[in-house]
Amino acid sequence: MSKQYQAIVVGAGPAGSSAALTMARAGLDVALVERGTFPGEKNMFGGILHRMTSIEEVLPEFWHNAPLERHIAKKGTTFMTGEASFHVQHETVNFDRAPYNGYTVFRPRFDSWLADEAIKAGATLITRATVDDLVHKNGRIAGVSILGRTGQIEAPVVIAADGVLSFTAKKAGLRQPKFDAGQMAVGVKALIDMPREMIDDRFGLVRDQGFANEFVGCTGGVRGGGFLYTNYDSLSIGLVFHLGSLRTSGKTPYDLLNAFMEQPQVAKLVRGGRLQEYSAHVIPEGGYKMIPELVGNGILVAGDAAALCNATGVNLEGINLASHSGILAGRTVIEAHERNDFSAKTLRRYKERLDLSWVMQDLKGFRNAPGMLHIDRIYNEYPELVCSMMEHIYRIDGTPKTSIPKLILREVKEKVGLKNAISDALTAWRAL
Amino acid sequence: MNIDEIFDFTSFTIDREPHIVLDPQVCVGCDNRGCTNSCPARCYTWSEEEQKMTFVHDGCLECGTCYIVCHRNAFTRWRYPRGGFGVAYRMT
Repeated sequence: MSKQYQAIVVGAGPAGSSAALTMARAGLDVALVERGTFPGEKNMFGGILHRMTSIEEVLPEFWHNAPLERHIAKKGTTFMTGEASFHVQHETVNFDRAPYNGYTVFRPRFDSWLADEAIKAGATLITRATVDDLVHKNGRIAGVSILGRTGQIEAPVVIAADGVLSFTAKKAGLRQPKFDAGQMAVGVKALIDMPREMIDDRFGLVRDQGFANEFVGCTGGVRGGGFLYTNYDSLSIGLVFHLGSLRTSGKTPYDLLNAFMEQPQVAKLVRGGRLQEYSAHVIPEGGYKMIPELVGNGILVAGDAAALCNATGVNLEGINLASHSGILAGRTVIEAHERNDFSAKTLRRYKERLDLSWVMQDLKGFRNAPGMLHIDRIYNEYPELVCSMMEHIYRIDGTPKTSIPKLILREVKEKVGLKNAISDALTAWRAL
Repeated sequence: MNIDEIFDFTSFTIDREPHIVLDPQVCVGCDNRGCTNSCPARCYTWSEEEQKMTFVHDGCLECGTCYIVCHRNAFTRWRYPRGGFGVAYRMT
Protein backbone atom coordinates (compact mmCIF):
# COMPACT_ATOMS: atom_id res chain seq x y z
CA MET A 1 0.00 0.00 0.00
CA SER A 2 1.29 3.43 -0.85
CA LYS A 3 0.34 6.71 0.65
CA GLN A 4 0.91 10.10 -0.92
CA TYR A 5 2.17 13.11 1.03
CA GLN A 6 3.47 16.52 -0.01
CA ALA A 7 6.77 16.00 1.79
CA ILE A 8 8.59 13.23 3.65
CA VAL A 9 10.97 13.88 6.51
CA VAL A 10 13.29 10.98 7.36
CA GLY A 11 14.09 11.05 11.07
CA ALA A 12 12.11 12.63 13.93
CA GLY A 13 15.08 14.20 15.69
CA PRO A 14 15.54 17.94 16.21
CA ALA A 15 16.21 18.65 12.51
CA GLY A 16 13.38 16.48 11.20
CA SER A 17 10.73 17.58 13.67
CA SER A 18 11.65 21.25 13.15
CA ALA A 19 11.29 20.78 9.40
CA ALA A 20 7.99 18.89 9.76
CA LEU A 21 6.62 21.53 12.14
CA THR A 22 7.54 24.34 9.74
CA MET A 23 5.94 22.64 6.72
CA ALA A 24 2.83 21.41 8.56
CA ARG A 25 2.15 24.91 9.85
CA ALA A 26 2.16 26.13 6.25
CA GLY A 27 -0.53 23.56 5.48
CA LEU A 28 1.58 20.90 3.79
CA ASP A 29 0.70 17.25 4.26
CA VAL A 30 3.89 15.92 5.84
CA ALA A 31 5.04 12.41 6.78
CA LEU A 32 7.57 12.36 9.62
CA VAL A 33 9.20 8.92 9.48
CA GLU A 34 11.01 7.57 12.55
CA ARG A 35 12.67 4.18 13.05
CA GLY A 36 12.26 4.16 16.85
CA THR A 37 9.06 3.14 18.61
CA PHE A 38 8.84 6.84 19.55
CA PRO A 39 10.93 9.91 18.61
CA GLY A 40 14.13 10.15 20.66
CA GLU A 41 14.28 6.46 21.49
CA LYS A 42 17.49 6.07 19.48
CA ASN A 43 19.00 9.41 20.36
CA MET A 44 21.67 10.41 22.82
CA PHE A 45 24.00 13.39 22.96
CA GLY A 46 26.77 15.02 24.95
CA GLY A 47 24.24 16.73 27.05
CA ILE A 48 23.50 20.40 26.36
CA LEU A 49 20.60 21.83 24.46
CA HIS A 50 22.08 25.22 23.66
CA ARG A 51 19.82 28.21 23.24
CA MET A 52 17.48 27.61 20.32
CA THR A 53 16.64 31.01 18.86
CA SER A 54 14.84 29.47 15.89
CA ILE A 55 12.60 27.35 18.13
CA GLU A 56 11.93 30.45 20.25
CA GLU A 57 10.49 32.03 17.09
CA VAL A 58 8.18 29.14 16.16
CA LEU A 59 7.33 28.14 19.72
CA PRO A 60 7.61 31.32 21.83
CA GLU A 61 8.73 30.73 25.42
CA PHE A 62 8.91 27.01 24.73
CA TRP A 63 10.77 26.53 28.02
CA HIS A 64 7.44 26.73 29.88
CA ASN A 65 6.12 23.65 28.05
CA ALA A 66 9.11 21.60 26.89
CA PRO A 67 10.35 18.72 29.07
CA LEU A 68 13.65 20.38 29.98
CA GLU A 69 15.93 19.61 32.89
CA ARG A 70 18.09 22.34 34.47
CA HIS A 71 19.15 25.52 32.69
CA ILE A 72 22.92 25.99 32.48
CA ALA A 73 23.85 28.84 34.78
CA LYS A 74 27.39 27.71 35.48
CA LYS A 75 30.06 26.42 33.11
CA GLY A 76 33.44 25.00 33.97
CA THR A 77 36.53 23.63 32.28
CA THR A 78 38.93 21.25 33.99
CA PHE A 79 42.44 20.40 32.87
CA MET A 80 43.37 17.14 34.50
CA THR A 81 45.89 14.36 34.85
CA GLY A 82 45.57 11.06 36.70
CA GLU A 83 46.22 12.78 40.03
CA ALA A 84 45.68 16.50 39.62
CA SER A 85 43.26 18.97 38.15
CA PHE A 86 43.03 22.69 37.45
CA HIS A 87 39.55 24.08 37.14
CA VAL A 88 38.16 27.36 35.81
CA GLN A 89 34.53 28.30 36.08
CA HIS A 90 32.20 30.96 34.82
CA GLU A 91 28.85 31.97 36.25
CA THR A 92 26.59 34.92 35.56
CA VAL A 93 23.06 35.97 36.50
CA ASN A 94 22.53 36.64 32.77
CA PHE A 95 22.45 32.90 32.18
CA ASP A 96 20.10 32.46 35.12
CA ARG A 97 17.06 34.06 33.50
CA ALA A 98 14.97 33.55 30.38
CA PRO A 99 15.73 33.23 27.54
CA TYR A 100 18.16 30.74 29.03
CA ASN A 101 21.49 30.08 27.36
CA GLY A 102 21.09 26.30 27.43
CA TYR A 103 19.58 23.33 29.20
CA THR A 104 20.21 19.74 30.00
CA VAL A 105 17.53 17.45 28.55
CA PHE A 106 16.74 13.78 28.11
CA ARG A 107 16.50 13.09 24.41
CA PRO A 108 13.68 10.51 24.55
CA ARG A 109 11.53 13.15 26.26
CA PHE A 110 12.67 16.26 24.42
CA ASP A 111 12.61 14.75 20.93
CA SER A 112 9.14 13.30 21.59
CA TRP A 113 7.91 16.71 22.66
CA LEU A 114 9.24 18.44 19.55
CA ALA A 115 7.73 15.75 17.29
CA ASP A 116 4.42 16.22 19.16
CA GLU A 117 4.50 19.90 18.24
CA ALA A 118 4.85 18.86 14.58
CA ILE A 119 1.90 16.45 14.99
CA LYS A 120 -0.19 19.22 16.60
CA ALA A 121 0.54 21.34 13.52
CA GLY A 122 -0.82 18.53 11.33
CA ALA A 123 2.19 16.35 10.46
CA THR A 124 1.74 12.56 10.37
CA LEU A 125 4.27 10.71 12.52
CA ILE A 126 5.08 7.20 11.33
CA THR A 127 7.12 5.32 13.93
CA ARG A 128 8.86 1.89 13.81
CA ALA A 129 9.76 2.72 10.22
CA THR A 130 13.39 2.36 9.11
CA VAL A 131 13.77 3.94 5.69
CA ASP A 132 15.35 1.39 3.38
CA ASP A 133 15.68 3.27 0.12
CA LEU A 134 14.62 6.21 -1.96
CA VAL A 135 11.93 5.52 -4.54
CA HIS A 136 12.40 7.04 -7.99
CA LYS A 137 9.80 7.60 -10.69
CA ASN A 138 10.57 9.04 -14.11
CA GLY A 139 14.09 9.87 -12.95
CA ARG A 140 12.90 11.86 -9.94
CA ILE A 141 12.68 11.12 -6.24
CA ALA A 142 9.12 10.03 -5.55
CA GLY A 143 9.26 8.75 -1.97
CA VAL A 144 10.84 6.19 0.34
CA SER A 145 10.49 2.49 1.03
CA ILE A 146 10.45 1.05 4.55
CA LEU A 147 12.54 -1.91 5.69
CA GLY A 148 10.41 -5.01 6.20
CA ARG A 149 7.22 -3.39 4.94
CA THR A 150 5.59 -3.61 1.57
CA GLY A 151 4.50 -0.47 -0.20
CA GLN A 152 6.04 2.93 0.07
CA ILE A 153 5.50 6.43 1.30
CA GLU A 154 5.29 8.85 -1.61
CA ALA A 155 6.06 12.54 -1.94
CA PRO A 156 7.78 14.74 -4.51
CA VAL A 157 10.38 15.87 -1.96
CA VAL A 158 12.33 14.26 0.88
CA ILE A 159 14.23 15.89 3.73
CA ALA A 160 17.02 13.61 4.96
CA ALA A 161 17.29 14.25 8.70
CA ASP A 162 18.32 10.71 9.52
CA GLY A 163 21.39 11.51 11.56
CA VAL A 164 25.14 11.39 11.23
CA LEU A 165 25.41 8.32 9.00
CA SER A 166 22.50 9.45 6.77
CA PHE A 167 21.96 6.49 4.51
CA THR A 168 19.27 8.56 2.80
CA ALA A 169 21.83 11.18 1.73
CA LYS A 170 24.18 8.40 0.71
CA LYS A 171 21.53 6.77 -1.48
CA ALA A 172 20.88 10.13 -3.11
CA GLY A 173 24.61 10.37 -3.82
CA LEU A 174 24.93 13.49 -1.68
CA ARG A 175 27.35 12.31 0.97
CA GLN A 176 30.71 10.63 0.59
CA PRO A 177 30.37 6.83 0.47
CA LYS A 178 33.09 6.41 3.09
CA PHE A 179 33.65 8.64 6.11
CA ASP A 180 37.07 9.81 7.22
CA ALA A 181 37.65 8.57 10.79
CA GLY A 182 39.68 11.75 11.37
CA GLN A 183 36.49 13.79 10.98
CA MET A 184 34.37 11.68 13.30
CA ALA A 185 34.11 11.21 17.04
CA VAL A 186 32.21 8.86 19.30
CA GLY A 187 30.65 9.92 22.57
CA VAL A 188 29.91 7.51 25.41
CA LYS A 189 27.80 8.49 28.36
CA ALA A 190 26.76 7.15 31.73
CA LEU A 191 23.61 8.45 33.34
CA ILE A 192 24.12 8.48 37.10
CA ASP A 193 21.15 8.63 39.42
CA MET A 194 21.60 11.09 42.30
CA PRO A 195 19.17 12.85 44.67
CA ARG A 196 18.37 16.40 43.65
CA GLU A 197 19.49 17.92 46.97
CA MET A 198 22.83 16.16 46.72
CA ILE A 199 23.39 17.63 43.24
CA ASP A 200 22.38 21.10 44.42
CA ASP A 201 24.76 20.96 47.40
CA ARG A 202 27.63 19.31 45.58
CA PHE A 203 27.69 21.70 42.62
CA GLY A 204 26.47 24.86 44.37
CA LEU A 205 23.13 25.15 42.61
CA VAL A 206 19.72 26.51 43.63
CA ARG A 207 16.25 26.37 42.03
CA ASP A 208 16.54 25.00 38.47
CA GLN A 209 20.17 26.00 37.99
CA GLY A 210 22.42 23.56 36.21
CA PHE A 211 26.15 23.07 35.87
CA ALA A 212 28.06 21.96 32.79
CA ASN A 213 31.70 21.01 32.88
CA GLU A 214 34.16 19.99 30.18
CA PHE A 215 37.35 18.08 30.91
CA VAL A 216 40.64 17.90 29.03
CA GLY A 217 43.32 15.35 29.79
CA CYS A 218 40.95 12.59 30.85
CA THR A 219 41.08 10.38 27.76
CA GLY A 220 44.26 8.38 28.32
CA GLY A 221 46.08 10.30 25.59
CA VAL A 222 43.37 9.60 22.99
CA ARG A 223 42.23 12.82 21.28
CA GLY A 224 39.01 13.79 22.99
CA GLY A 225 37.52 15.18 26.16
CA GLY A 226 35.09 14.61 28.95
CA PHE A 227 31.86 16.17 30.14
CA LEU A 228 29.70 16.25 33.22
CA TYR A 229 26.26 17.83 33.20
CA THR A 230 23.63 18.06 35.91
CA ASN A 231 20.05 16.98 35.30
CA TYR A 232 17.41 17.42 38.02
CA ASP A 233 18.17 14.18 39.80
CA SER A 234 20.94 12.61 37.75
CA LEU A 235 24.35 13.39 36.29
CA SER A 236 25.34 12.84 32.67
CA ILE A 237 29.01 11.98 32.56
CA GLY A 238 30.92 10.84 29.54
CA LEU A 239 33.81 11.03 27.14
CA VAL A 240 34.14 11.93 23.47
CA PHE A 241 36.93 10.40 21.36
CA HIS A 242 38.15 11.20 17.89
CA LEU A 243 37.76 7.94 16.02
CA GLY A 244 40.99 8.27 14.05
CA SER A 245 42.82 8.39 17.35
CA LEU A 246 40.73 5.84 19.29
CA ARG A 247 41.04 3.25 16.52
CA THR A 248 44.81 3.06 16.77
CA SER A 249 45.05 3.53 20.55
CA GLY A 250 44.02 -0.02 21.45
CA LYS A 251 42.02 1.51 24.32
CA THR A 252 38.31 0.98 24.85
CA PRO A 253 35.71 3.69 25.49
CA TYR A 254 34.26 1.92 28.56
CA ASP A 255 37.64 1.33 30.23
CA LEU A 256 38.56 4.97 29.68
CA LEU A 257 35.15 6.06 31.01
CA ASN A 258 35.67 3.96 34.13
CA ALA A 259 39.16 5.39 34.62
CA PHE A 260 37.73 8.90 34.20
CA MET A 261 35.06 8.29 36.83
CA GLU A 262 37.68 6.82 39.16
CA GLN A 263 40.10 9.76 38.89
CA PRO A 264 40.14 11.03 42.52
CA GLN A 265 38.72 14.49 41.80
CA VAL A 266 35.98 13.13 39.50
CA ALA A 267 35.19 10.20 41.82
CA LYS A 268 34.18 12.73 44.49
CA LEU A 269 31.67 14.28 42.09
CA VAL A 270 29.91 11.05 41.19
CA ARG A 271 30.15 9.40 44.62
CA GLY A 272 26.83 8.15 45.95
CA GLY A 273 25.35 7.91 42.45
CA ARG A 274 24.07 4.80 40.73
CA LEU A 275 24.45 3.93 37.04
CA GLN A 276 21.11 4.15 35.28
CA GLU A 277 21.85 3.96 31.58
CA TYR A 278 24.81 3.70 29.22
CA SER A 279 24.68 5.11 25.70
CA ALA A 280 26.90 5.97 22.76
CA HIS A 281 26.77 7.77 19.44
CA VAL A 282 28.97 9.05 16.65
CA ILE A 283 29.35 12.81 16.15
CA PRO A 284 30.35 14.54 12.89
CA GLU A 285 33.22 16.72 14.11
CA GLY A 286 34.87 17.68 10.83
CA GLY A 287 32.94 20.96 10.68
CA TYR A 288 32.68 23.10 7.55
CA LYS A 289 35.10 20.98 5.55
CA MET A 290 33.00 17.81 5.80
CA ILE A 291 29.59 19.23 4.89
CA PRO A 292 28.08 17.09 2.12
CA GLU A 293 26.05 18.27 -0.87
CA LEU A 294 23.00 19.79 0.81
CA VAL A 295 20.49 19.45 -2.03
CA GLY A 296 19.72 17.27 -5.00
CA ASN A 297 16.68 16.88 -7.21
CA GLY A 298 13.81 16.32 -4.79
CA ILE A 299 15.99 16.06 -1.67
CA LEU A 300 17.49 18.26 1.07
CA VAL A 301 19.82 17.25 3.91
CA ALA A 302 19.59 18.72 7.44
CA GLY A 303 21.07 18.35 10.92
CA ASP A 304 23.76 15.76 11.70
CA ALA A 305 23.06 14.20 8.30
CA ALA A 306 24.49 17.42 6.86
CA ALA A 307 27.34 17.37 9.45
CA LEU A 308 26.03 20.59 10.97
CA CYS A 309 27.87 20.23 14.22
CA ASN A 310 30.12 22.91 15.67
CA ALA A 311 32.74 21.27 17.84
CA THR A 312 35.23 24.01 18.62
CA GLY A 313 36.38 22.51 21.86
CA VAL A 314 34.66 25.33 23.76
CA ASN A 315 31.01 24.58 23.08
CA LEU A 316 29.79 21.42 21.40
CA GLU A 317 26.77 22.61 19.43
CA GLY A 318 24.54 20.37 17.36
CA ILE A 319 20.83 20.42 18.18
CA ASN A 320 20.53 24.18 17.72
CA LEU A 321 22.16 23.94 14.29
CA ALA A 322 20.04 20.89 13.42
CA SER A 323 16.81 22.60 14.35
CA HIS A 324 17.66 25.78 12.46
CA SER A 325 18.66 23.85 9.35
CA GLY A 326 15.41 21.85 9.58
CA ILE A 327 13.36 25.05 9.68
CA LEU A 328 15.24 26.48 6.66
CA ALA A 329 14.82 23.22 4.74
CA GLY A 330 11.10 23.27 5.58
CA ARG A 331 10.72 26.85 4.36
CA THR A 332 12.45 25.96 1.11
CA VAL A 333 10.09 23.02 0.54
CA ILE A 334 7.08 25.32 1.14
CA GLU A 335 8.42 27.61 -1.61
CA ALA A 336 9.08 24.67 -3.91
CA HIS A 337 5.43 23.61 -3.51
CA GLU A 338 4.26 27.11 -4.40
CA ARG A 339 6.24 26.82 -7.64
CA ASN A 340 5.57 23.10 -8.02
CA ASP A 341 9.28 22.72 -8.79
CA PHE A 342 11.44 20.33 -6.75
CA SER A 343 14.56 20.50 -8.87
CA ALA A 344 17.93 20.96 -7.23
CA LYS A 345 17.99 24.43 -8.76
CA THR A 346 14.95 25.54 -6.74
CA LEU A 347 15.96 23.64 -3.61
CA ARG A 348 19.38 25.30 -3.71
CA ARG A 349 17.67 28.23 -2.00
CA TYR A 350 18.06 26.11 1.17
CA LYS A 351 21.85 26.26 0.88
CA GLU A 352 21.70 30.01 0.26
CA ARG A 353 19.54 30.44 3.35
CA LEU A 354 21.94 28.35 5.43
CA ASP A 355 24.96 30.28 4.11
CA LEU A 356 23.38 33.54 5.21
CA SER A 357 22.50 32.20 8.66
CA TRP A 358 24.64 31.94 11.80
CA VAL A 359 24.79 28.17 11.24
CA MET A 360 27.11 28.33 8.22
CA GLN A 361 28.79 31.52 9.35
CA ASP A 362 29.79 29.86 12.63
CA LEU A 363 30.94 26.69 10.88
CA LYS A 364 32.90 28.71 8.33
CA GLY A 365 34.37 30.99 10.99
CA PHE A 366 35.54 28.02 13.04
CA ARG A 367 36.50 25.85 10.05
CA ASN A 368 40.06 25.47 11.38
CA ALA A 369 38.97 24.40 14.87
CA PRO A 370 38.66 20.68 14.00
CA GLY A 371 42.26 20.82 12.74
CA MET A 372 43.42 22.43 15.97
CA LEU A 373 41.80 19.61 17.90
CA HIS A 374 44.14 17.22 16.10
CA ILE A 375 47.07 18.57 18.09
CA ASP A 376 47.75 15.54 20.29
CA ARG A 377 49.56 17.64 22.92
CA ILE A 378 46.19 19.14 23.98
CA TYR A 379 45.15 15.81 25.49
CA ASN A 380 48.22 14.99 27.52
CA GLU A 381 51.07 17.45 27.62
CA TYR A 382 49.09 20.67 28.10
CA PRO A 383 46.88 19.43 30.96
CA GLU A 384 50.04 18.10 32.60
CA LEU A 385 51.77 21.41 32.04
CA VAL A 386 48.92 23.39 33.60
CA CYS A 387 48.57 21.09 36.61
CA SER A 388 52.32 20.91 37.24
CA MET A 389 52.71 24.67 36.92
CA MET A 390 49.91 25.33 39.41
CA GLU A 391 51.38 22.80 41.81
CA HIS A 392 54.74 24.59 41.68
CA ILE A 393 53.08 27.94 42.18
CA TYR A 394 51.07 26.78 45.21
CA ARG A 395 53.68 24.49 46.75
CA ILE A 396 55.42 25.61 49.94
CA ASP A 397 58.33 23.30 50.73
CA GLY A 398 61.11 25.30 52.35
CA THR A 399 63.07 25.84 49.14
CA PRO A 400 63.43 29.22 47.39
CA LYS A 401 60.68 29.91 44.87
CA THR A 402 61.27 30.36 41.15
CA SER A 403 59.71 33.54 39.71
CA ILE A 404 56.47 32.76 37.92
CA PRO A 405 57.59 33.82 34.39
CA LYS A 406 60.76 31.73 34.79
CA LEU A 407 58.69 28.81 36.07
CA ILE A 408 56.32 29.02 33.11
CA LEU A 409 59.20 29.08 30.64
CA ARG A 410 60.90 26.13 32.32
CA GLU A 411 57.72 24.06 32.43
CA VAL A 412 56.82 24.84 28.82
CA LYS A 413 60.32 23.90 27.66
CA GLU A 414 60.24 20.71 29.67
CA LYS A 415 56.73 19.49 28.94
CA VAL A 416 56.00 20.68 25.41
CA GLY A 417 59.05 22.38 23.92
CA LEU A 418 59.11 26.09 23.13
CA LYS A 419 58.76 25.66 19.38
CA ASN A 420 55.74 23.39 19.72
CA ALA A 421 54.11 25.76 22.19
CA ILE A 422 54.45 28.73 19.83
CA SER A 423 53.20 26.75 16.84
CA ASP A 424 50.22 25.39 18.84
CA ALA A 425 49.37 28.86 20.12
CA LEU A 426 49.32 30.16 16.54
CA THR A 427 47.15 27.26 15.39
CA ALA A 428 44.73 27.90 18.24
CA TRP A 429 44.67 31.63 17.53
CA ARG A 430 43.78 31.01 13.90
CA ALA A 431 41.20 28.36 14.76
CA LEU A 432 39.29 30.31 17.39
CA MET B 1 30.51 0.17 35.07
CA ASN B 2 31.02 -3.30 33.71
CA ILE B 3 30.40 -3.53 29.96
CA ASP B 4 29.53 -7.22 30.35
CA GLU B 5 26.44 -6.10 32.23
CA ILE B 6 25.20 -3.76 29.50
CA PHE B 7 21.80 -5.48 29.41
CA ASP B 8 21.27 -4.53 33.05
CA PHE B 9 21.29 -0.82 32.35
CA THR B 10 20.44 -0.30 28.69
CA SER B 11 17.24 -1.71 27.13
CA PHE B 12 17.12 -3.58 23.84
CA THR B 13 14.44 -5.20 21.73
CA ILE B 14 16.55 -7.77 19.96
CA ASP B 15 15.73 -8.70 16.38
CA ARG B 16 16.53 -12.26 15.36
CA GLU B 17 17.98 -11.04 12.11
CA PRO B 18 21.21 -9.05 12.57
CA HIS B 19 21.29 -5.53 11.10
CA ILE B 20 25.06 -5.76 10.64
CA VAL B 21 26.70 -8.67 8.85
CA LEU B 22 30.39 -8.97 8.14
CA ASP B 23 32.59 -11.14 6.03
CA PRO B 24 34.94 -12.55 8.69
CA GLN B 25 37.49 -13.45 6.01
CA VAL B 26 38.16 -9.75 5.49
CA CYS B 27 38.89 -9.38 9.23
CA VAL B 28 41.50 -12.13 9.10
CA GLY B 29 43.56 -10.00 6.76
CA CYS B 30 43.03 -6.76 8.70
CA ASP B 31 46.13 -5.09 10.14
CA ASN B 32 44.22 -2.94 12.58
CA ARG B 33 40.90 -4.40 13.84
CA GLY B 34 40.04 -1.04 15.36
CA CYS B 35 36.46 -2.23 15.77
CA THR B 36 37.41 -4.54 18.65
CA ASN B 37 38.59 -1.73 20.91
CA SER B 38 36.54 1.18 19.49
CA CYS B 39 33.06 -0.36 19.73
CA PRO B 40 31.53 1.16 22.90
CA ALA B 41 29.46 -1.99 23.47
CA ARG B 42 32.21 -4.53 22.79
CA CYS B 43 30.26 -6.26 20.04
CA TYR B 44 33.42 -7.33 18.21
CA THR B 45 35.87 -9.88 19.58
CA TRP B 46 38.91 -11.21 17.82
CA SER B 47 40.22 -14.63 18.76
CA GLU B 48 43.95 -14.83 18.14
CA GLU B 49 43.83 -18.59 18.69
CA GLU B 50 41.13 -19.28 16.13
CA GLN B 51 42.06 -16.30 13.94
CA LYS B 52 38.40 -15.41 13.93
CA MET B 53 36.30 -12.28 14.32
CA THR B 54 33.00 -12.66 16.14
CA PHE B 55 30.29 -10.02 16.02
CA VAL B 56 27.19 -10.14 18.21
CA HIS B 57 24.49 -7.59 17.40
CA ASP B 58 22.42 -8.06 20.58
CA GLY B 59 23.95 -5.22 22.61
CA CYS B 60 24.64 -2.91 19.65
CA LEU B 61 24.04 0.74 20.56
CA GLU B 62 23.66 1.65 16.86
CA CYS B 63 26.26 4.37 17.38
CA GLY B 64 28.01 4.02 14.00
CA THR B 65 31.57 3.60 15.29
CA CYS B 66 32.31 0.31 13.47
CA TYR B 67 30.91 1.69 10.23
CA ILE B 68 33.55 4.42 10.40
CA VAL B 69 36.59 2.67 11.86
CA CYS B 70 36.42 -0.37 9.55
CA HIS B 71 38.75 0.58 6.73
CA ARG B 72 38.54 -2.80 5.01
CA ASN B 73 34.83 -2.64 4.17
CA ALA B 74 34.20 -5.92 5.94
CA PHE B 75 30.45 -5.31 6.05
CA THR B 76 28.21 -7.16 3.68
CA ARG B 77 25.35 -5.40 5.45
CA TRP B 78 25.31 -2.32 7.65
CA ARG B 79 21.93 -0.83 8.25
CA TYR B 80 19.82 0.17 11.21
CA PRO B 81 17.53 -2.45 12.73
CA ARG B 82 13.99 -2.84 11.48
CA GLY B 83 11.60 -0.31 12.95
CA GLY B 84 10.86 -1.02 16.60
CA PHE B 85 13.96 -3.18 17.16
CA GLY B 86 17.38 -2.48 18.62
CA VAL B 87 18.47 -0.19 21.42
CA ALA B 88 15.74 1.69 23.31
CA TYR B 89 16.96 4.57 25.41
CA ARG B 90 14.71 5.60 28.26
CA MET B 91 16.38 8.72 29.63
CA THR B 92 19.82 9.52 28.31
